[in-house]
Amino acid sequence: MKRLPSTNEFYVAATIVLLSIIIGSINPAFFTLGNLIDLLRSSIVMGIFGLGVLMVIISGGIDVSFTAIASISMFATTKILRYYDFQGTVLVAFLIAAGIGLALGLINAVFISLFRLPTLIVTLGTASMINGFMLAFIGAREISNIPQGMIEFSKINLFEVTSSTGFVYGLPAAILILAALVVFVWFLLKYTMLGRGIYALGGDRVAAERVGFDINAIQFFIYGFVGLISGVGGLVHTCLMRNSDPVDLMGTELVVIAAVVLGGARITGGHGTVLGTLLGLFLVTIITNSLILLGIPSYWQSAVVGMLILVGTGVTAYQSKRAQASHGLA
Amino acid sequence: MSRPFLEVRNVSKSFAGVRALENVSLTINQGEIRCLVGENGSGKSTLIKIIAGVYAPDHGDIIIGGKLFKRLHPIDSIREGIQIIYQDFSLFPNLTVAENLALNHEMSQRRRFVDWRGVNQIAREALARIGVEIPLNARVEELPVADKQLVAISRALLQHARLIIMDEPTTALTRREVDALFRVIKGLQQKGISILFVSHKLNEVYEIAEKITILRNGKNVADGDTSEFDRAKLIYHMTGRQVEQSRYEREAGGDQARPLLKVENLSRRGEYSDVSFELYPGEILGLVGLLGAGRTELAMSLLGLRPPDSGRIYIDGKPIKIRSFEQAVKQGIGYVPEDRLTQGLFLQQSIGRNIVVGTIDRYLNRFGLIDSRKVNGQISKWVRDLSIVTPSPLLPVQSLSGGNQQRVVLAKWLASNPRILVLNGPTVGVDVGSKAEIHRIIRELARQGVGVLLISDDIPEVLNNCSRILLMRKGRIVEEFTAGMVSENELVNKLSGAA
Amino acid sequence: MKRLLMVLAILCLLVAVSVQVPGGNGAVSAAGKKYTIATVPKVSGIAWFDRMSEGVKKFAKDTGHEAFQVGPQKADAALQVQIIEDLIAQKVDAICVVPFSQEALEPVLKKARSRGIVVIAHEASGIQNVDFDIEAFDNAAYGAHFMDHLAKLMGEEGEYAVFVGSLTSKSHNEWVDASIKRQKEKYPKMKLVTERLETYDDQKIAYQKTRELLKAYPNLKGIQGSAMADAPGAALAVEEMGLIGKVHIVGTSLVSVAGKYLKSGACSLIGFWDPADAGYAMNKLAVMILDGKRDQIKTGLDLGIPGYRNLKLQGKVLYGSAWVDVTKENMDKYNF
Repeated sequence: MKRLPSTNEFYVAATIVLLSIIIGSINPAFFTLGNLIDLLRSSIVMGIFGLGVLMVIISGGIDVSFTAIASISMFATTKILRYYDFQGTVLVAFLIAAGIGLALGLINAVFISLFRLPTLIVTLGTASMINGFMLAFIGAREISNIPQGMIEFSKINLFEVTSSTGFVYGLPAAILILAALVVFVWFLLKYTMLGRGIYALGGDRVAAERVGFDINAIQFFIYGFVGLISGVGGLVHTCLMRNSDPVDLMGTELVVIAAVVLGGARITGGHGTVLGTLLGLFLVTIITNSLILLGIPSYWQSAVVGMLILVGTGVTAYQSKRAQASHGLA
Repeated sequence: MSRPFLEVRNVSKSFAGVRALENVSLTINQGEIRCLVGENGSGKSTLIKIIAGVYAPDHGDIIIGGKLFKRLHPIDSIREGIQIIYQDFSLFPNLTVAENLALNHEMSQRRRFVDWRGVNQIAREALARIGVEIPLNARVEELPVADKQLVAISRALLQHARLIIMDEPTTALTRREVDALFRVIKGLQQKGISILFVSHKLNEVYEIAEKITILRNGKNVADGDTSEFDRAKLIYHMTGRQVEQSRYEREAGGDQARPLLKVENLSRRGEYSDVSFELYPGEILGLVGLLGAGRTELAMSLLGLRPPDSGRIYIDGKPIKIRSFEQAVKQGIGYVPEDRLTQGLFLQQSIGRNIVVGTIDRYLNRFGLIDSRKVNGQISKWVRDLSIVTPSPLLPVQSLSGGNQQRVVLAKWLASNPRILVLNGPTVGVDVGSKAEIHRIIRELARQGVGVLLISDDIPEVLNNCSRILLMRKGRIVEEFTAGMVSENELVNKLSGAA
Repeated sequence: MKRLLMVLAILCLLVAVSVQVPGGNGAVSAAGKKYTIATVPKVSGIAWFDRMSEGVKKFAKDTGHEAFQVGPQKADAALQVQIIEDLIAQKVDAICVVPFSQEALEPVLKKARSRGIVVIAHEASGIQNVDFDIEAFDNAAYGAHFMDHLAKLMGEEGEYAVFVGSLTSKSHNEWVDASIKRQKEKYPKMKLVTERLETYDDQKIAYQKTRELLKAYPNLKGIQGSAMADAPGAALAVEEMGLIGKVHIVGTSLVSVAGKYLKSGACSLIGFWDPADAGYAMNKLAVMILDGKRDQIKTGLDLGIPGYRNLKLQGKVLYGSAWVDVTKENMDKYNF
């Protein structure tokens, strides 16, 4: 049984290549190093969120609260640091944001694991609770004047290239956070018993219990970890935008979930890979970041994004279904 | 020569005052293959769960390997080498074969990290032990049922099984797969492993079992060597009554010259090709073939679910096109699906609602609202006519036994007065008593002039009920038999392509 | 059980009535009637509308009317409709609204007016179902003045692009229309590279689209923003790509949001009107109508607020002259 052609990753990658060729043939500027850097930097925050969503979906759950967690983590962190007029390293900001995220993620875990409530209901609840709390107690006015340490962090580039047109494209160091998380989550899912437990839980909860996995511990880990990396993702977003807006991440959760599913994670649980998730997110990033290059009029842009996502998921789903059907019949 | 491995002595168990088991005894020797037979509700599953330690018996002893257990816990049962393969296998569909096999081992070692080389090693050895080859990297959900079962067996062996209990293991297997499974079981026996085989299918019982234990209404009714029982005796013990095994003959009379349904050169790429046959009123036409021979696909085409690429379908001599399920129903075609649980019924809904769901638009009053008197009249008529055993048609379908559920599906279709009825494995998973009852209903329908297309793996069922039999292989109809002109063995051999 | 429910129901009614009575009395104040006036911005939680709510609060304090601001958490037409529906149900006396999308709001505003609620709009000069629309200035003049500044920065030649918060945002589009018209008439050497781009009032999108624009049109020399997030978003991209001085940015924004880019030079000029004044003016206009002084609303009307002292009436629209231009030099004068 040859596995490659049947994997979802393969079809997403093929779609990316095909789409790139089409865009590049319309506007060669697509195939510049500068554009690649732009696409990568646009993927950083989505990628961090995507890794969390991936783990939740593999375990058979769904989380719609991560943007709310990210928003409150970054916003509260900015607010706290502004209040104390903190001038030090950005690491402190990351620690605070990660801590807030972790705490909120554990709240999800308590409801999901101990009270056995459906994940969608719990996370919808916590998301709206967090938003309400933020507006009521922290305020919702965006902070344009973020702490210096955070601005400095956003200015660190791994490398910069100057294009022939004289533009400077810098790849922010924040991508290292994504890279580290990618390696960590990949290793966790593939090589640790905890990771296999997440797959087992998503495949068959009862069977996982029978084998001896501690389901509660696994769920606490998943939701705590997702909260933590959501906090980190939110802070990266704030740093890169040099602006802390508590509402601008709202609504992106569905795009991230769609991208992760596009990358082969199944909503029913048990399936999904880090590679697929990254490819799915990258495909969505390419689509949303190439409309001007393609010269698509503004009036058509949302329609075109919707269409491309439908075609992208459709082609991928159809191909992998066909591949499955062909050896399912044997 | 062999010592008993497991002895269950005079075990009784009640649930909320209802006797599920009464003084039941069962002995399995080392390296013995024993069949546990009985109709639904006879107490088989209760007995299995007591052996597994899931239920504690009210009275009686359990002795495993000479050790008496007053209170047997699941973990004791596993430790003593008892492994149960349930119908759902309890495998992880999303994980690979190798992982499914090795997971228990890894968990027991309290590992933190996965040793993939070790996983593959364990899995390879496990499969080699029962002499089968299954790709280690395939996901279990991609495997055919038979392979899943083999994986489950291998996993049981990895847990040092000394007794493997298989609950209805052949339900979803084709004949060839059953043969392969039996070879594996015989191989296990050679190694001194005992097998308790729970089944409805009588011919399989004769094929594999050395000993038979029969339960009826929670009691031991017979126990002994397989050779002591002939078919009629076995059925008698299971049902407590004589079940007729007569053959259905189509009665003469009526509009018999003209076929009700005529199919000409029907093809659908990759599924079946060039299929032609005729179905006459009052006829029960059998359609047999291995899984994947195109039988189900052909049935789906008649129902408009998978429209054919080419060819013609005539009803009453008129050419028609069936492009949707609705059209099929309108043409008077009814269908009882293979898997009644997923295709035929709304399990949580009431029996009554399930019966009228397909025909609800016939019971409207002049305001276009549902006339509940008419509906209830229909429901009680069908419950009575099909002898569905239930205290009330308001209960959910899932409260019924398999055989009764299947009757509800039948009722649903009969309520639409079909002229052509396509039955796909109508008695799969149904016990012997109900099976005879369903056969009686089918024959009665045919006598009333309905044309029945019966798709089945159950060769005796086909031989006893059909007037003609079509054999499909690789998407084509390769042979046609008239009832009574072919023996069971002959047909089985032709089916597997041995001839 | 049933009786208990009855008792409870009666108790509830009693409580409701007893609460209602003092409320009813309070509706009449010494200075005349006391009105409930709701101000509905496009979105809550951004500096611009926070500033507007300061004006609304000041109005409430100055006049004693119950004036408050309530807006959607996200810039979304449907959410805004929902809020107005709620306000109608609450029987407010007047609604002052800054529509996200005029078309989407017309039906619900019509409904409000049919219930006798006074409706005042802002940033929506073409809207139908209102008593009056009040604009801080004539949109065409405001838009054209940005083009004059942009042209000067670009040396009256080269490529430029324009952003709007949303394609359905009336005022943004009017500013941009006027700018483009001015460019065609007065600055023929300048060229608009692509149709107006939509940023959804989101700084991240303004930022991403600027980066993409610069790739697609490497000779771009100027960007004009409309939503408050446009100029800072574009400026961040320009700053990061080392293009300060090469690409010029002008647009509507606030010092608190775009100040740091004015300082760095990435953004050359921002224009705005004080949303607090606009909020105050809307509320004041609403009270005039509620007090039956509709006949006094005509050209030359003085609302007593800077920039709104000599209004010009055209149809249903009142124009003030309340815009402010801010550059690096005078930015310290504004703290919002």
